[in-house]
Amino acid sequence: MNNQHVIGVFNEEDELLSAIHRVKEAGIKIAEIYTPYPVHEAIEAIGKKSRFTIAAFLFGFAGAIGILAFLQYTAVYDWPINYGGKPTNAFPSFIVVTIVLTILTITLASLFTFSVRAKVYPGKEYFMPDTRSTDDKFVIIFNMDQNATESSLLIQMLRESGASEIFEKQFQPLT
Amino acid sequence: MYKTEVRGSLIHGNKNYHQISSDIIAPIDQPIPLWWKAAFGISMLAFLYGVIAIYVTISQGIGTWGVNNSVGWGWEIINFVWWIGIGHAGTAFSIFLLILRQKWRTSINRAAEAMTVVAVGCAALFPAIHMGRIWLAFFIFPYPNTRGPLWVNYNSPLFWDFIAISAYLLISASFWYFGMVPDFATIRDRTTSKVKKAVYGFFAFGWTGSTKEWLRYESLSYVLGGIAAVLVVSVHSIVSTDFAVSVIPGWHTTVFPPYFVVGAIFSGFAMVMTLMIIIRKVYKFQDYITDSHLNAIAKILVFISLIMGTAYATEIFIAWYSGSQYEFFTFFRNRITGDYTFEFWAMVICNAFIPQLFWFKRVRKSLVAAFTISIFINIGMWYERFNIIITSLTKDYLPSSWTTYEPTWVEIGFYIGTLGMFAAGVLLFFKYIPMIAISEVKGVLKATSHDSNDNKINRHE
Repeated sequence: MNNQHVIGVFNEEDELLSAIHRVKEAGIKIAEIYTPYPVHEAIEAIGKKSRFTIAAFLFGFAGAIGILAFLQYTAVYDWPINYGGKPTNAFPSFIVVTIVLTILTITLASLFTFSVRAKVYPGKEYFMPDTRSTDDKFVIIFNMDQNATESSLLIQMLRESGASEIFEKQFQPLT
Repeated sequence: MYKTEVRGSLIHGNKNYHQISSDIIAPIDQPIPLWWKAAFGISMLAFLYGVIAIYVTISQGIGTWGVNNSVGWGWEIINFVWWIGIGHAGTAFSIFLLILRQKWRTSINRAAEAMTVVAVGCAALFPAIHMGRIWLAFFIFPYPNTRGPLWVNYNSPLFWDFIAISAYLLISASFWYFGMVPDFATIRDRTTSKVKKAVYGFFAFGWTGSTKEWLRYESLSYVLGGIAAVLVVSVHSIVSTDFAVSVIPGWHTTVFPPYFVVGAIFSGFAMVMTLMIIIRKVYKFQDYITDSHLNAIAKILVFISLIMGTAYATEIFIAWYSGSQYEFFTFFRNRITGDYTFEFWAMVICNAFIPQLFWFKRVRKSLVAAFTISIFINIGMWYERFNIIITSLTKDYLPSSWTTYEPTWVEIGFYIGTLGMFAAGVLLFFKYIPMIAISEVKGVLKATSHDSNDNKINRHE
């Protein structure tokens, strides 16, 4: 793959959205967009979907079953203790602990999944085409394996959408 | 569908994105102001007093407290419940307003969450030390041990409490931290100082703000918001079961869980208001924490105050209507009249009457009035816990076991220590962490700005 990239920098969300709209119509693939805050149209333009809710449900399901099983095993089978003659298999009072610990399981497992999937973890080597994108710039990147005419067409489109800066840069393709 | 356009612009002063970053990061970049050093010094002194009190407690035992056979729970449990209540607001604020898509939360949620984490930390100290022999505190974990293995009693509300508080602390802290990651990246990319770049860069976890990150970030925040909302309700319900499953008059009531949850949110919101007024005044954040933000909190407080009043009235009514002479005695002879009249009426006046002043627009607009009322609510909520714990325990079924309770200097010191710990924690937050969620505020800037909303505002007013 070619390492040549075209980078467009925008000052406003509207301009970025119009550029996204135009390049999508022209059928050019966007490599990545960097924004200072979540912009839903930009997220949709990349065409990725998150299955976080499904993952969270599965974590919760597994967590709830696991915790109930643990409570049952320890309190009923492993060492049943007589607390004032009350039943050892006190299912309703197990529910309280199960709910809270299920929530804890979902939270911790989801955070871990987020860290793995979004590749956000301590000591990560990161790459940003323009570091102002965490402050006030909207940055869009295209991988230029297309031909030169398409590249100039793209630059033209970005300029017409209101990009404040457009530059070309060589770097390793984004993973 | 969920746009809150009727509120008008949330950020004043025609800011652009760059200004927002600069304004919010400014306190981190500026040198430490003198008042901060003074305040931090005082809170550390208070904290030191607490450390001494804790040292005395641990080295000599719970006997150094004023608790006795009848009043086994003194100031420690009052303060524990009080801090947990305050710690409720952060998550309540963030989470309920997040899932209700209330955009005005963005200026306040960070500070509220910070407050939660520190307050729950303060709260957790009390039961941990109250159990006695803190070096054996790990016995409460259900772990395979050499005593059988003897597992813990899952039917005990005290165990539920331990689970709930630990989970709440962990979840609030992770929710808070996770929200700060994009802001740490903003500081990392703006700063010229190498030390700051390294430190904030480490805590930013390599955040770049790409769509792949934002996509998952958004999904995760809704997932966490949705499940943690359950936790907000469950934690204080569980705290209330510490009382409600007993047979002590005044405690043995089914109204306790909702009553505790509402009370917790009440005291927490009051503390949020106290804190937001301080932040707004000291750091001149009036463009972010606008009058309409404080107005909204005041309206919530007046509403919750009505619920509190109803809860008090319900308790008193049922004490009479149930026909139980013990309940009747506790409420009519030991709270409304009797030895604890002052504490009871302090609670009612501070929680149910004084916040009613927020019905008046002039009171809601006045920072001094709002600040004063928020302090009154916090005092009132402390008295509420005092009433519940002390009045019920001093005079139960057997007159022969009636007794009085006075806190010793050790207990007072422990409380002052946590106040110092809280103040110090909040001051560190002021100085080293962006007090307002930068990326979230940027996200609502254009959506609620005057350009897009002027017409709608005019139509509504």
